[in-house]
Amino acid sequence: MASASDLNRPHLLPPSDINPRTDAPLDFPDRGFGALTADDYRVLGFMSGLEVHQQLATARKLFCRCPAGIRVDHFDTEVLRHMRPTLSELGEYDGCALMEFKTRKEIVYQLERGTVCTYEIDDTPPFEINPEAVEIAIEVAQLFHLNLVQELHVMRKQYLDGSIPTGFQRTAMVGLDGEIPFVDKELGIDRPLRIRQLSLEEDSCREISDIGHRIVFRTDRLGTPLTEVVTEPEMLSPLELQAAARLVARTTRASGRVRRGAGAARQDVNVSIAGGRRIEIKGVSHHKGLPLLVHNEAYRQLNLLRIREELRRRGVQPQWFILPPGNGDAEESDGVLDATAILSGCDFAPLRDSLDAGESALAVRLRGFKGLLLHRTQPGVTFANEFADRVRVIACLTARPFLIHSDIEGYGLEHALWSQLHKALQCEEQDAMIVVWGPRRDLDTAVREIFIRAKDALIGVPAETRQAFPDGTNGFERILPGVDRMYPDTDTPPVPIDDALVERIRLELPERPWEKTRRCISLGLPPDAIDRLLDAPWCKLFDQLQAEGAVAQRITYALEKRLPHWWREWGHRELPSAERLRPWAKALADGEVHPQACEAILDRLLRESDRPAEEIVAAYRSSEGDEKELAELLESIERDCAFLRVKEIEPALRWAMGRLMAAFKGKRTPEELRERAVKALASGGVQ
Amino acid sequence: MNDDRYKGYREPCLGLLQRFDVGVWYEVRVTTREGSFEGLLLPRSVTSDAHHIVLKLTTGYNVGLRCDTIVEMQQIGYREAHYKIPEQEFPVSRDKPRVKLLGTGGTIASRLDYRTGAVIPAFSPGELYGSVPELAEICNLETDKLFGVFSENMGPEQYLVLAETIGQTIEEGYAGIVVGHGTDTMHHTAAALSFMVQDPPVPIVMVGSQRSSDRPSSDAAQNLINATWAAATGDIAEVMVCMFGPTSDQYNLLHRGTRVRKMHSSYRSTFRTLGDIPLAMVDDGVITHLKDDYRPRRDDRRVKVQPAFEEKVSLLYYYPNMQADMVDALVERGYKGIVLAGTGLGHVNRTLYPALRRAHEAGVVVFMTLQTLWGFVQMHVYETGREILELGVVPLANMLPEVAYIKLGWALGMHPDDPARVVELMTTSIAGEMTEREPHDGYLVFQGGVPEIQDFLQQVWK
Repeated sequence: MASASDLNRPHLLPPSDINPRTDAPLDFPDRGFGALTADDYRVLGFMSGLEVHQQLATARKLFCRCPAGIRVDHFDTEVLRHMRPTLSELGEYDGCALMEFKTRKEIVYQLERGTVCTYEIDDTPPFEINPEAVEIAIEVAQLFHLNLVQELHVMRKQYLDGSIPTGFQRTAMVGLDGEIPFVDKELGIDRPLRIRQLSLEEDSCREISDIGHRIVFRTDRLGTPLTEVVTEPEMLSPLELQAAARLVARTTRASGRVRRGAGAARQDVNVSIAGGRRIEIKGVSHHKGLPLLVHNEAYRQLNLLRIREELRRRGVQPQWFILPPGNGDAEESDGVLDATAILSGCDFAPLRDSLDAGESALAVRLRGFKGLLLHRTQPGVTFANEFADRVRVIACLTARPFLIHSDIEGYGLEHALWSQLHKALQCEEQDAMIVVWGPRRDLDTAVREIFIRAKDALIGVPAETRQAFPDGTNGFERILPGVDRMYPDTDTPPVPIDDALVERIRLELPERPWEKTRRCISLGLPPDAIDRLLDAPWCKLFDQLQAEGAVAQRITYALEKRLPHWWREWGHRELPSAERLRPWAKALADGEVHPQACEAILDRLLRESDRPAEEIVAAYRSSEGDEKELAELLESIERDCAFLRVKEIEPALRWAMGRLMAAFKGKRTPEELRERAVKALASGGVQ
Repeated sequence: MNDDRYKGYREPCLGLLQRFDVGVWYEVRVTTREGSFEGLLLPRSVTSDAHHIVLKLTTGYNVGLRCDTIVEMQQIGYREAHYKIPEQEFPVSRDKPRVKLLGTGGTIASRLDYRTGAVIPAFSPGELYGSVPELAEICNLETDKLFGVFSENMGPEQYLVLAETIGQTIEEGYAGIVVGHGTDTMHHTAAALSFMVQDPPVPIVMVGSQRSSDRPSSDAAQNLINATWAAATGDIAEVMVCMFGPTSDQYNLLHRGTRVRKMHSSYRSTFRTLGDIPLAMVDDGVITHLKDDYRPRRDDRRVKVQPAFEEKVSLLYYYPNMQADMVDALVERGYKGIVLAGTGLGHVNRTLYPALRRAHEAGVVVFMTLQTLWGFVQMHVYETGREILELGVVPLANMLPEVAYIKLGWALGMHPDDPARVVELMTTSIAGEMTEREPHDGYLVFQGGVPEIQDFLQQVWK
């Protein structure tokens, strides 16, 4: 408890992004993913958390009446916008901020009449928040045992990257501080997973292309309601993170009112190691790739910390990399040289072509960096990429390559030119150089970004938002937005949450995944089947069929085998109704059809959609007339054998079983049919 | 003191805050039946209900907690809000023109207090330089805040002050004048200034924003930059409105103050010139003239400032079945002039005829404009029109109804007891409010969905 005078100061701080352990494990050996144990990650000080975004299956978008969940690949028109930093975002404007604004991007939004209205392009204020989305969000918040807020306040979260035409995302906090059981026998986890918060937000645009100063977005999914669930950063190994991601996804999906399919669920992960800083990696759509991604990020941080250590050892100072604020005059600073004249006519084709086309080249001296630019940071990635990424994103240089550095030997510029630059830049032995080329107007920014990244190398792990690549590595996406990027949306009033609504949702709350697991175990399903069932789109359908024991197992196997098959064949992903499948489940449960017919009946129920289910099932149900029919068929087999003078038993039996199974599958067991066939064949003279 | 400590809170929340001895800007731990929450207690908007307190969480989110669920509140810290906009000196250079920015109350530039969500207007040159530094590349800017009223509260009182201030500003030798204004009634004020400040030697450019300047997608900065270019270096010495051309961030249009109208409640490209084409396009310093019949910039400082306004003037929007007492009531209440916005070519129903006659006989001047907005009043085509003319209703060609309303207020203000002079003034075009001809492209309302328009929209920025 704080003392009285102490109370006159601020105490509440946002969650820190610095790893609580500051002792960087610099000597930890380099090993690939899969070669480390959970204990190894503990030594590294590995910590990670999740932000899981899940689109909700509402009919309409969150703040307008456009239909949600429609993806289009054409557009009717385009709108051009720019994002201008608002004052607080950057603290104060200075020359640097103005310059960054000058190298700004043209942001193009593609509009399709059916999926967007004037709200999405920020030409109409928001309509009332979609009550259906609020209901689902409250339901999901309850599934996570969160403390619900009683009045939603819509906030604006700023994004200057253009992914939302307003420049901010509308978002509202729904619930805080919850936990769910987190059990994974294989990984030895049995503890609660703490959930920090759940918010209800609108989805952003889909990026179509980002070339130079022009970024293009499609707006169909813009404004779709989604929930963002944030966990505490308590996952201590990559596999643990993956298990947590699956659990969060399952718990969200338990509501049954969320979207599925490509892009409907996306997660951001945050990772840090001892001595490092929480780095957010955006846009991971599959759980499968998560462990490798965060493993690589852990090593990237470790490598950046190693580079920092070496720079410190060399006595490199941050003030060496500060350019005076200015406007288009970076080459007049110390350590920067207009190298256009020196390099024109060089042998390195990409650079020569650029200069021939009237572009320029600047050379930059990085004091004390010699050899470090080749330092590995991720598999197949060197420290130089950290510079190149930043230049590409912020200075909009996209023709590749656009920079080269002096640590590379045997490629690019010939030695004599490097020597010339070395002299002109007054370099010393320990220095490295970077040459960057492109349109003149972008180079000033490029040089500034190179200096900023060099200076950040002395911090170790700079605060950035990064993006996931399919190969498990990650790259710079943008500078971390300021902490103060959230402010109230003046266009929407606070929305009180009615107690009665919360109570109604509580009473109708669907089963949570761990409750379902328990129930499935009691139904007699094996653990691996439960695991698959919980993630399957037919999970709810399975429940509705109310099967138990061996029948439950048969039904879940049949569904997971036959439904995807049917979907592939028909090219759509529709689930049959529980009504349609109920006679099938019932006949199985009552023992009226034999288990062997289970999948065959399901197939016909799916394919012969205009035939009544009862009729299809009836064909497999044993009845009083069956025996007579069977006897007739056996007689005919016997006759045919005699007529054909078949002598060998094996082919004859195969032939006979083919006929018998086709007619009596589901009504008689194969064993019985086989026995009867052998007898019949014997009387027909086949031995 | 108490007001500040419990800012915006009423019973029952007020009693609760008092009971737990906490006020706004306190960092508190709140225990509720739904769990506990930590955050900064924010002031409550007076337009929100009385039953919730608002906390700002450390993540920046605001949440509301209903007071009847609160069990306990405990102070854990205090964080005062600071409302201040960082100011930087506006750079002055000898070779740049002087421009005066007059403020009427709309926020052209502003910054947000992220903690409270309050929008703090930026207006002094130093503050503006902090938000729109490009202005320093255009001119030496000086500012004068005249009033602090929202657009909808602008009226004759402000028109008069504005007109006189503009007159003085012109005499003081500024190269151009920018008037910051809310967008709702910008075209009314533009019309008023067009009549009250005649034949100015320099541009008078009105500007505002459709998206507030605290958002990254705001149109405010582009509008202000282009308006300042038009005022500082433009050649058109008239009262104009400078707002977005298309909804895309592209160029601005300069609209003549008497032909411009706000046509959409929220679009960026809401201001349109009606019945004619805009005067010019402005794109970051490049002014492309579209019309050549404008009044060019002059070096002298002569200007005819005539601030006057009669407030007993009304604009009556006609609808079928309008009753005569609507007109009678105005006459009885002492109104001196009425502008009708009639249907078609300038028509109203017969029911109104006796009332219009009574108005005419009572010395109330009545004028006809069109609710079609485009086109001319033509009262000779149909019998109805001829009958109405006989009742003393004066047609106003293609003057926009709002412009006619403003002009009539001004004309009656100039000549309070001389209906004949008023009619003469009203039927003489002073600032382009009536044109002799409507160009074929003065009426362009495209219809979406039509194939050729779809093709067009594919190829141009909307």
